[in-house]
Amino acid sequence: MLDELEALYRVRLNEFRRVAAAIAGDRELGCDAVQEAFASAVRKRRTFRGSGALEAWVWRIVVNAARDARRRRPTPPEPPSASTNGHAPTLPLDLLTERQREIIFLHYYADLDYAAIAEALAISPGTVGATLTAARKTLRLAYEEVRA
Amino acid sequence: MNEVMERLVPRFDEPGDWDDVLRRAGGRRVRPALLAALVVALAAVAVAPTLAGLLRHGGVGLPDEADRTNVGVVLAPVNRKVILEVAPWRGHTGFCYAVLHARAGCVPRKRSGAVITKPALFGWTFDDRVRSGEATTFGGKRVPLTVRHFGGRTDVTVFLARSRIPFPGLLRRVVLRDAAGKVVLRVRTR
Repeated sequence: MLDELEALYRVRLNEFRRVAAAIAGDRELGCDAVQEAFASAVRKRRTFRGSGALEAWVWRIVVNAARDARRRRPTPPEPPSASTNGHAPTLPLDLLTERQREIIFLHYYADLDYAAIAEALAISPGTVGATLTAARKTLRLAYEEVRA
Repeated sequence: MNEVMERLVPRFDEPGDWDDVLRRAGGRRVRPALLAALVVALAAVAVAPTLAGLLRHGGVGLPDEADRTNVGVVLAPVNRKVILEVAPWRGHTGFCYAVLHARAGCVPRKRSGAVITKPALFGWTFDDRVRSGEATTFGGKRVPLTVRHFGGRTDVTVFLARSRIPFPGLLRRVVLRDAAGKVVLRVRTR
Protein backbone atom coordinates (compact mmCIF):
# COMPACT_ATOMS: atom_id res chain seq x y z
CA MET A 1 0.00 0.00 0.00
CA LEU A 2 2.80 2.39 0.86
CA ASP A 3 4.52 1.52 -2.40
CA GLU A 4 1.33 2.18 -4.33
CA LEU A 5 0.93 5.57 -2.69
CA GLU A 6 4.51 6.45 -3.50
CA ALA A 7 4.06 5.37 -7.11
CA LEU A 8 0.91 7.45 -7.39
CA TYR A 9 2.74 10.44 -5.92
CA ARG A 10 5.61 10.16 -8.37
CA VAL A 11 3.47 9.54 -11.44
CA ARG A 12 0.70 12.07 -10.84
CA LEU A 13 2.40 14.74 -8.73
CA ASN A 14 2.07 17.49 -11.35
CA GLU A 15 -1.66 16.92 -11.70
CA PHE A 16 -2.17 16.81 -7.93
CA ARG A 17 -0.26 20.05 -7.55
CA ARG A 18 -2.11 21.87 -10.31
CA VAL A 19 -5.53 20.93 -8.97
CA ALA A 20 -4.53 21.76 -5.40
CA ALA A 21 -3.03 25.09 -6.48
CA ALA A 22 -6.14 25.99 -8.44
CA ILE A 23 -8.41 25.18 -5.50
CA ALA A 24 -6.19 26.84 -2.90
CA GLY A 25 -5.63 29.85 -5.14
CA ASP A 26 -1.88 29.77 -4.61
CA ARG A 27 0.89 27.59 -6.01
CA GLU A 28 2.85 27.29 -2.77
CA LEU A 29 -0.25 26.49 -0.79
CA GLY A 30 -1.21 23.93 -3.39
CA CYS A 31 2.16 22.19 -3.18
CA ASP A 32 2.00 22.16 0.60
CA ALA A 33 -1.56 20.81 0.51
CA VAL A 34 -0.44 17.92 -1.67
CA GLN A 35 2.38 17.05 0.74
CA GLU A 36 -0.01 17.18 3.67
CA ALA A 37 -2.61 15.17 1.80
CA PHE A 38 -0.21 12.37 0.99
CA ALA A 39 1.10 12.37 4.55
CA SER A 40 -2.49 11.98 5.68
CA ALA A 41 -3.03 9.18 3.17
CA VAL A 42 0.06 7.39 4.47
CA ARG A 43 -1.21 7.64 8.03
CA LYS A 44 -4.72 6.51 7.12
CA ARG A 45 -3.79 3.93 4.51
CA ARG A 46 -5.11 1.04 6.58
CA THR A 47 -8.56 2.60 6.54
CA PHE A 48 -8.68 2.40 2.75
CA ARG A 49 -11.23 -0.33 2.15
CA GLY A 50 -10.34 -1.02 -1.42
CA SER A 51 -13.95 -0.74 -2.54
CA GLY A 52 -12.98 2.04 -4.95
CA ALA A 53 -9.85 3.17 -6.72
CA LEU A 54 -6.90 4.19 -4.60
CA GLU A 55 -6.34 7.24 -6.79
CA ALA A 56 -9.88 8.49 -6.25
CA TRP A 57 -9.44 8.03 -2.51
CA VAL A 58 -6.27 10.11 -2.62
CA TRP A 59 -7.90 12.74 -4.80
CA ARG A 60 -10.56 13.22 -2.18
CA ILE A 61 -7.90 13.79 0.48
CA VAL A 62 -6.02 16.19 -1.77
CA VAL A 63 -9.14 18.20 -2.58
CA ASN A 64 -10.00 18.47 1.11
CA ALA A 65 -6.45 19.54 1.96
CA ALA A 66 -6.57 22.21 -0.75
CA ARG A 67 -9.91 23.48 0.54
CA ASP A 68 -8.44 23.68 4.04
CA ALA A 69 -5.42 25.56 2.71
CA ARG A 70 -7.68 28.01 0.96
CA ARG A 71 -9.69 28.62 4.13
CA ARG A 72 -6.57 29.10 6.24
CA ARG A 73 -5.34 31.98 4.13
CA PRO A 74 -5.40 35.30 6.02
CA THR A 75 -7.45 36.97 3.30
CA PRO A 76 -9.58 34.70 1.15
CA PRO A 77 -8.27 34.92 -2.38
CA GLU A 78 -10.35 35.89 -5.31
CA PRO A 79 -11.40 32.85 -7.28
CA PRO A 80 -8.76 32.26 -9.91
CA SER A 81 -9.37 33.85 -13.26
CA ALA A 82 -7.23 33.60 -16.32
CA SER A 83 -6.17 36.67 -18.18
CA THR A 84 -2.97 37.81 -19.76
CA ASN A 85 -2.29 41.10 -21.45
CA GLY A 86 -5.85 41.95 -22.26
CA HIS A 87 -5.76 40.39 -25.68
CA ALA A 88 -6.04 36.80 -24.57
CA PRO A 89 -9.36 35.29 -23.59
CA THR A 90 -10.49 35.60 -19.99
CA LEU A 91 -11.96 32.79 -17.94
CA PRO A 92 -14.28 34.28 -15.29
CA LEU A 93 -14.11 31.44 -12.83
CA ASP A 94 -15.56 33.72 -10.16
CA LEU A 95 -18.92 33.19 -11.84
CA LEU A 96 -18.79 29.53 -10.91
CA THR A 97 -19.67 27.85 -7.66
CA GLU A 98 -16.97 26.13 -5.63
CA ARG A 99 -18.17 22.71 -6.77
CA GLN A 100 -18.21 23.78 -10.41
CA ARG A 101 -14.66 25.07 -10.14
CA GLU A 102 -13.42 21.89 -8.49
CA ILE A 103 -15.00 19.73 -11.17
CA ILE A 104 -13.49 21.93 -13.89
CA PHE A 105 -10.04 21.63 -12.28
CA LEU A 106 -10.26 17.87 -11.83
CA HIS A 107 -11.48 17.44 -15.38
CA TYR A 108 -8.92 19.63 -17.10
CA TYR A 109 -5.82 19.33 -14.92
CA ALA A 110 -6.15 15.73 -13.77
CA ASP A 111 -7.98 14.42 -16.83
CA LEU A 112 -10.32 12.43 -14.59
CA ASP A 113 -13.48 10.97 -16.06
CA TYR A 114 -16.90 11.55 -14.54
CA ALA A 115 -16.78 8.42 -12.41
CA ALA A 116 -13.41 9.29 -10.91
CA ILE A 117 -14.44 12.89 -10.24
CA ALA A 118 -17.63 11.64 -8.64
CA GLU A 119 -15.69 9.32 -6.36
CA ALA A 120 -13.19 12.03 -5.47
CA LEU A 121 -15.91 14.54 -4.56
CA ALA A 122 -18.36 12.02 -3.11
CA ILE A 123 -21.11 12.90 -5.56
CA SER A 124 -22.82 10.99 -8.33
CA PRO A 125 -21.44 10.79 -11.88
CA GLY A 126 -24.70 12.32 -13.11
CA THR A 127 -24.14 15.33 -10.91
CA VAL A 128 -20.62 15.66 -12.28
CA GLY A 129 -21.90 15.71 -15.86
CA ALA A 130 -24.68 18.18 -15.15
CA THR A 131 -22.39 20.44 -13.14
CA LEU A 132 -19.71 20.41 -15.79
CA THR A 133 -22.23 21.23 -18.51
CA ALA A 134 -23.62 24.10 -16.48
CA ALA A 135 -20.13 25.43 -15.72
CA ARG A 136 -19.13 25.34 -19.38
CA LYS A 137 -22.32 27.11 -20.38
CA THR A 138 -21.71 29.85 -17.81
CA LEU A 139 -18.15 30.33 -19.00
CA ARG A 140 -19.13 30.30 -22.66
CA LEU A 141 -21.81 32.93 -22.16
CA ALA A 142 -19.47 35.10 -20.16
CA TYR A 143 -16.77 34.73 -22.77
CA GLU A 144 -19.15 35.64 -25.59
CA GLU A 145 -20.29 38.72 -23.65
CA VAL A 146 -16.68 39.84 -23.29
CA ARG A 147 -16.01 39.35 -27.00
CA ALA A 148 -19.17 41.21 -27.92
CA MET B 1 -10.63 26.76 -22.95
CA ASN B 2 -7.74 24.33 -22.70
CA GLU B 3 -5.33 27.09 -23.56
CA VAL B 4 -6.75 29.36 -20.89
CA MET B 5 -6.65 26.58 -18.31
CA GLU B 6 -3.02 25.91 -19.15
CA ARG B 7 -2.17 29.51 -18.40
CA LEU B 8 -4.30 29.63 -15.26
CA VAL B 9 -2.11 27.19 -13.35
CA PRO B 10 1.11 26.48 -15.25
CA ARG B 11 2.73 23.08 -14.90
CA PHE B 12 5.08 22.45 -11.99
CA ASP B 13 8.68 21.74 -12.80
CA GLU B 14 9.90 21.13 -9.25
CA PRO B 15 10.42 17.47 -8.35
CA GLY B 16 8.49 15.92 -5.53
CA ASP B 17 9.82 15.05 -2.11
CA TRP B 18 8.47 11.72 -0.93
CA ASP B 19 10.70 11.70 2.14
CA ASP B 20 9.02 14.93 3.21
CA VAL B 21 5.66 13.15 2.90
CA LEU B 22 6.91 10.36 5.16
CA ARG B 23 8.32 12.83 7.67
CA ARG B 24 4.98 14.62 7.81
CA ALA B 25 3.24 11.29 8.21
CA GLY B 26 5.28 10.81 11.34
CA GLY B 27 6.74 7.46 10.42
CA ARG B 28 9.83 6.20 8.77
CA ARG B 29 9.71 3.81 5.93
CA VAL B 30 10.75 0.30 6.74
CA ARG B 31 13.64 -0.48 4.44
CA PRO B 32 13.72 -3.86 2.68
CA ALA B 33 16.85 -4.99 4.52
CA LEU B 34 15.28 -4.14 7.84
CA LEU B 35 12.11 -5.89 6.80
CA ALA B 36 14.04 -9.02 5.88
CA ALA B 37 15.82 -9.01 9.23
CA LEU B 38 12.47 -8.60 10.96
CA VAL B 39 10.99 -11.55 9.07
CA VAL B 40 13.95 -13.75 10.00
CA ALA B 41 13.65 -12.72 13.62
CA LEU B 42 9.92 -13.45 13.70
CA ALA B 43 10.44 -16.79 12.00
CA ALA B 44 13.05 -17.70 14.60
CA VAL B 45 10.66 -16.77 17.39
CA ALA B 46 7.89 -18.84 15.80
CA VAL B 47 10.03 -21.92 15.24
CA ALA B 48 11.95 -21.80 18.49
CA PRO B 49 9.09 -23.03 20.71
CA THR B 50 8.50 -25.93 18.31
CA LEU B 51 12.10 -27.01 18.42
CA ALA B 52 12.26 -26.47 22.14
CA GLY B 53 9.16 -28.60 22.60
CA LEU B 54 10.57 -31.37 20.47
CA LEU B 55 13.88 -31.34 22.27
CA ARG B 56 12.28 -31.19 25.68
CA HIS B 57 9.67 -33.86 25.17
CA GLY B 58 11.07 -35.89 22.29
CA GLY B 59 7.76 -35.61 20.43
CA VAL B 60 4.77 -34.54 22.52
CA GLY B 61 1.85 -36.90 22.32
CA LEU B 62 3.63 -39.95 20.96
CA PRO B 63 2.81 -43.12 22.87
CA ASP B 64 5.43 -44.50 25.23
CA GLU B 65 6.00 -47.40 22.84
CA ALA B 66 7.33 -45.04 20.20
CA ASP B 67 11.03 -45.00 19.52
CA ARG B 68 11.75 -41.34 20.27
CA THR B 69 15.24 -41.55 18.93
CA ASN B 70 13.82 -41.59 15.41
CA VAL B 71 10.93 -39.10 15.28
CA GLY B 72 9.71 -37.63 12.01
CA VAL B 73 7.46 -34.58 11.87
CA VAL B 74 5.20 -32.70 9.47
CA LEU B 75 5.03 -28.95 10.02
CA ALA B 76 2.10 -26.69 9.18
CA PRO B 77 3.14 -24.62 6.16
CA VAL B 78 2.08 -21.29 7.64
CA ASN B 79 2.88 -21.26 11.34
CA ARG B 80 5.39 -24.12 11.26
CA LYS B 81 3.78 -25.87 14.17
CA VAL B 82 4.15 -29.62 14.43
CA ILE B 83 0.93 -31.18 13.21
CA LEU B 84 2.09 -34.77 12.94
CA GLU B 85 4.77 -36.89 14.58
CA VAL B 86 5.67 -40.43 13.60
CA ALA B 87 8.22 -42.87 14.99
CA PRO B 88 9.02 -46.59 14.79
CA TRP B 89 7.11 -48.85 17.15
CA ARG B 90 9.59 -50.37 19.55
CA GLY B 91 9.54 -54.15 19.51
CA HIS B 92 7.05 -54.32 16.66
CA THR B 93 6.84 -53.98 12.90
CA GLY B 94 4.82 -50.85 12.53
CA PHE B 95 4.85 -47.25 13.64
CA CYS B 96 3.44 -44.86 16.21
CA TYR B 97 1.91 -41.47 15.52
CA ALA B 98 0.47 -38.36 17.16
CA VAL B 99 -1.58 -36.03 14.99
CA LEU B 100 -2.49 -32.47 15.97
CA HIS B 101 -1.98 -33.46 19.60
CA ALA B 102 -5.50 -34.87 19.33
CA ARG B 103 -5.02 -38.48 18.39
CA ALA B 104 -2.18 -40.90 18.95
CA GLY B 105 -1.52 -44.60 18.66
CA CYS B 106 0.64 -47.37 17.33
CA VAL B 107 -0.34 -49.56 14.39
CA PRO B 108 1.10 -52.80 12.99
CA ARG B 109 2.33 -52.95 9.44
CA LYS B 110 -0.16 -54.33 6.94
CA ARG B 111 0.50 -55.59 3.49
CA SER B 112 -1.98 -53.41 1.62
CA GLY B 113 -4.78 -50.87 1.99
CA ALA B 114 -4.99 -47.60 3.86
CA VAL B 115 -6.42 -46.44 7.15
CA ILE B 116 -8.18 -43.13 7.72
CA THR B 117 -8.95 -41.44 11.00
CA LYS B 118 -11.16 -38.41 11.56
CA PRO B 119 -11.06 -35.92 12.95
CA ALA B 120 -8.49 -34.88 12.14
CA LEU B 121 -8.42 -36.24 8.65
CA PHE B 122 -5.29 -38.33 8.80
CA GLY B 123 -4.36 -41.69 7.41
CA TRP B 124 -1.56 -43.98 6.40
CA THR B 125 -0.63 -46.68 3.99
CA PHE B 126 2.33 -48.97 3.68
CA ASP B 127 2.06 -48.86 -0.08
CA ASP B 128 5.19 -46.96 -1.01
CA ARG B 129 3.89 -46.04 -4.48
CA VAL B 130 1.62 -43.33 -3.06
CA ARG B 131 2.82 -39.80 -3.77
CA SER B 132 -0.29 -37.58 -3.66
CA GLY B 133 -3.86 -37.66 -2.43
CA GLU B 134 -7.18 -35.91 -2.44
CA ALA B 135 -10.24 -36.11 -0.22
CA THR B 136 -13.78 -35.48 -1.46
CA THR B 137 -16.75 -34.51 0.69
CA PHE B 138 -20.34 -35.48 0.02
CA GLY B 139 -20.89 -31.91 -1.13
CA GLY B 140 -18.32 -32.43 -3.85
CA LYS B 141 -15.64 -30.28 -2.30
CA ARG B 142 -12.15 -31.53 -3.03
CA VAL B 143 -9.50 -31.16 -0.38
CA PRO B 144 -5.84 -31.68 -1.29
CA LEU B 145 -3.88 -33.87 1.07
CA THR B 146 -0.34 -33.57 2.26
CA VAL B 147 1.45 -36.86 1.61
CA ARG B 148 4.76 -37.75 3.25
CA HIS B 149 6.78 -40.90 3.18
CA PHE B 150 8.93 -41.72 6.16
CA GLY B 151 11.64 -44.24 5.43
CA GLY B 152 13.94 -46.20 7.66
CA ARG B 153 12.40 -48.28 10.39
CA THR B 154 9.21 -46.19 10.34
CA ASP B 155 8.63 -46.98 6.66
CA VAL B 156 5.13 -45.60 6.21
CA THR B 157 3.37 -43.10 3.94
CA VAL B 158 1.03 -40.76 5.78
CA PHE B 159 -1.51 -38.32 4.42
CA LEU B 160 -3.50 -35.54 6.07
CA ALA B 161 -5.65 -32.58 5.12
CA ARG B 162 -3.74 -29.34 4.57
CA SER B 163 -6.83 -27.30 5.20
CA ARG B 164 -9.50 -27.75 7.78
CA ILE B 165 -12.55 -29.73 6.73
CA PRO B 166 -15.63 -28.09 8.27
CA PHE B 167 -17.52 -31.32 8.81
CA PRO B 168 -15.24 -34.36 8.78
CA GLY B 169 -18.32 -36.56 9.01
CA LEU B 170 -19.20 -35.51 5.49
CA LEU B 171 -15.99 -36.93 4.07
CA ARG B 172 -16.90 -39.22 1.18
CA ARG B 173 -13.70 -40.74 -0.05
CA VAL B 174 -9.95 -40.42 -0.28
CA VAL B 175 -8.04 -41.12 -3.45
CA LEU B 176 -4.32 -41.80 -3.34
CA ARG B 177 -2.20 -41.62 -6.48
CA ASP B 178 1.28 -42.58 -7.57
CA ALA B 179 3.91 -40.29 -9.10
CA ALA B 180 2.29 -40.59 -12.52
CA GLY B 181 -1.12 -39.56 -11.18
CA LYS B 182 -2.55 -43.04 -11.45
CA VAL B 183 -4.97 -44.05 -8.73
CA VAL B 184 -3.31 -46.49 -6.35
CA LEU B 185 -5.91 -46.61 -3.59
CA ARG B 186 -9.48 -45.43 -3.34
CA VAL B 187 -10.79 -45.42 0.21
CA ARG B 188 -14.45 -44.87 0.98
CA THR B 189 -15.38 -43.59 4.38
CA ARG B 190 -18.57 -43.79 6.36
